[in-house]
Order: sequence, then C-alpha cells, then structure tokens
Amino acid sequence: MSLAAGLESYLTDLWGAPTTVANLSRIPGGASRETYRLDAQVAGETGGQTHRMILRRDPTGSLIETDRRLEFLAYRTVHGHVPVPQAIALEQDGRALERPFFLMERIDGGVVASPFTFDPYGAHAQALGERFFTILGKLAALDHDGTPIRQAAELPAAQDCWRIALDHWAGVIEADEQHPQPIVRAAIRHLRRNPPPPAQRVALVHGDYRTGNFMHDGAGRILAILDWEMAHLGDPIEDLGWAFDPLWNHFDETRVDGMIPRERAIAIWEAASGLRVDPEALAWWSLFNAVKGQAIWTSAAKEYRAGGFTDPILAISGWYTARRHDQILAERLSALEGF
Amino acid sequence: MTPALPDILRGNFLSLAIPAPPESQGEFMAGRVGVIALLSLLAAQEVERGTAARVWENAAIAAVLADAAEAYGVQYAGVAEITAADLSLAALDAANAALRRGLIALHEAVEAARDLPRHRAIVALYGEMAQARRLDLPPLPAR
Repeated sequence: MSLAAGLESYLTDLWGAPTTVANLSRIPGGASRETYRLDAQVAGETGGQTHRMILRRDPTGSLIETDRRLEFLAYRTVHGHVPVPQAIALEQDGRALERPFFLMERIDGGVVASPFTFDPYGAHAQALGERFFTILGKLAALDHDGTPIRQAAELPAAQDCWRIALDHWAGVIEADEQHPQPIVRAAIRHLRRNPPPPAQRVALVHGDYRTGNFMHDGAGRILAILDWEMAHLGDPIEDLGWAFDPLWNHFDETRVDGMIPRERAIAIWEAASGLRVDPEALAWWSLFNAVKGQAIWTSAAKEYRAGGFTDPILAISGWYTARRHDQILAERLSALEGF
Repeated sequence: MTPALPDILRGNFLSLAIPAPPESQGEFMAGRVGVIALLSLLAAQEVERGTAARVWENAAIAAVLADAAEAYGVQYAGVAEITAADLSLAALDAANAALRRGLIALHEAVEAARDLPRHRAIVALYGEMAQARRLDLPPLPAR
C-alpha cells in the first residue's frame, strides 16, 4: 500500500468518515524522522475544510534514536506556552504506515533557515534573536507538574541532571564509535572531574534548541519552535549551551545563532526565565554540548554505514559536523587551565 | 575517521541512482541534491589534504607515544612503532586507529599522574589534529 493510501485509511478510521489525502510531499529537515506535508479532506465535512497536516514517521535509519512519544507529549505540553503546531495523533505500532508516526497541524508560510547559510535572518536578526531567547527563557520557567511530558519523561534530581545527561551521551559514543576519538573522550573525562553546580530548577529542556529548528515569517516573528525529539527534563542551561555552540553561528563569531550577541541573549533569557546564568554552569554545559554533538554525529556515521550509504544528511553529519566539533572541542580543552 | 571518502562517493552515487517514491520527489529531492553537492565539494578537500593529514597525524601521535614510553611504560614505545602498510586511506586509517587508542590510554595515564606539562602537550596535539582534518564549508547564501 502506498503511503498516501495508508494515510487515507488511517484518517478514515481516526475521524470516522471517508478521508482523502492530497499534496503528500516529503520535506527536508527533521533529520531524526521522515517529515511529510499533506492535506486531508473529510467527506461531508461542512465547508469542505482542508486539514493541513505534518506527518512525522520513524525512519529506517536516523541521526539518533529518539522517543516519538516523548516528542509528541512535548508538543502537547508546550502548546499554548511556546509557539508550536498542535499535536493531533500518535501511533506507536507500525501497522498503519509500516513504522510508528505522529501527526500534527501544519503552519504554512514560514521559513526555516539552514544552519550552513550566511546571515539568513538579515535585518530581522535582532528581533528574532530577542524572541528566540525569550521563548527559551519561558520554556525554562514552565511549570511541568501534571503536564503530558511527565507521563513519559523521568524527573531527575537537580544535582543529577549533569551526570544523567553525560552518562547518556558518553554511552552513545561508546556504543556507536567506529574509529577511536581521543578528543571527545578527553572532554568527557574533564566533565566528569569537574561537575557543574546543581540545576537551579529542573525544567523541560528542548534538547536541540538552535538556529534551523524554528520557523519564522521572514519579517521578524517566530511562528513555531520545531523538532522536539530530544526533549527531556533537566538543567535548562543545557539548551543555552547548545544554542551558543559555534556550529550554529552562521559564520559570525559575534552573534549566537546568527542573531544577537551572546551577552544580550543571556540577559534576555534571564529576564524571561527568572533564573540566573552561572558562568561556571554555562562553561560546563557548553563543553558538554560539544560532546553531545559529537555523540550525535558518531551515531549518524554508524547509521550512514548501516543504511548502505544512501542518506546524504547522515553523511554530512557523520563527516563534516563531526570534524567541526572536534575543532570546537579541542579549542575548548586548550582554553582550560588545568585538569 | 568515519565515514571514509569512498563511502561518501559511493553513497552519493546510490543516493541519486536509487529511484525515490513519488512523495519524495520535489522539495525533498532538491534538498538532497544540494547536500550531495556539498559532499562533493568536501570530498575534493579530502582528496587534496586527507592523505597528508593522516600521514602527519600518525607520525605526530607516534612521536608523543615514543617520548612518553620512558615515564609511562614500554607499551607506548611498541604502539609508536605501528606504521601503515601503504599509503592507501584504509591502511593509514587502520594504523591511525591503533595509534589513537594508544594516545587515549596515554592521556588517561597522564591525567591520573597529574602530569600537567604532558597533558598540555597532548591537548595541543588535539588542536593540531582537528585542524589538519578540518573540512571547510563555504558560507552558502540564504534562500
């Protein structure tokens, strides 16, 4: 059965009325899941309304193994607090479309920048940067007690956030490494010897909050924060460290994510979150995020091989970005005073 | 390092040669072709610099291991003697893997001994290794 026919059958069952699917098209981005846009039309629905939707389906190979239910629940948790599309349905068994998937509403008319382009935000960089870090601060302040994410995400103690995160990503490198990586291993040992202060609060962490993972309207307004597949509960400084990684600076060392200076981003985040950015914590989480990046690229390289070398996104992740993060890690290690 | 250059080039061929389903034509395929173009550009850099970078890195790691053998154990002198059977990328990478494993073990021992001068020398070597292996992505115009 074709993907379109499978979707029609599934939506017909879901909505209890014959449904047709049109304009089904895979779109770039969302490297951990296959992402498609589609229009669904329900027979007999008043006004002939078209449901504009996004399908996120598990891939055969991926940058990183992620939990689709967590991603789905993260969208449900932040909807109304952070600009995101509304999550519609989650199917964890693979019967309907061969692999697990979820559906969400589609937001049209926006632009998503590639992280490898120069100055993608132009005259709107300042406005977008202020909104981008305000949203991140609000996410850090969100009370997640009783929200959908708590059905699936473990709640760590504040003093354990760093260790849980480091154990996870160091374990990914240990499992997936195909060629010895002395630089990232030295960074992991340094992080273990020098733990950060406990999290000020345990927050919902996006996990991949950066340029290229939000949609904007081309006029300075953020329409949606995307790609919540690595969402978890942890130290909110983790997201700041990832957003500040030089990999995402669009070839501009004076601005984070190609938008605003780092100090301005910190001030905006502090105002929105009600928390303080401890420089010691940020330094730890910045080095950690370079380790996390290297772990993701290590998995991508493994998946590229396992998948028969057919996904060029996995190739560039496992090759270019891996080497870029080796440079970033080496620079950070050389800047440290001692052990 | 992984993936190797032949993997990338074979992968580029396969990515274009295998027919995509109808729903993966259009915007998705255009994006895919753009990534393949980037990979081709980076492959040219790897052809130009990759062999020299590996030869240099293997010699540099061997020198650090040989220098540390007296203080940290004769096993490092043994690892330092590993050389590639020939100048193919596969042979250079096989030797590199063994040398890197030796370097990881040495660095752990250096840290345990709190030998700061040698620690700094190894970290400086990491910087040179990363620089020699770098791939330069050009700033692409935003669409």
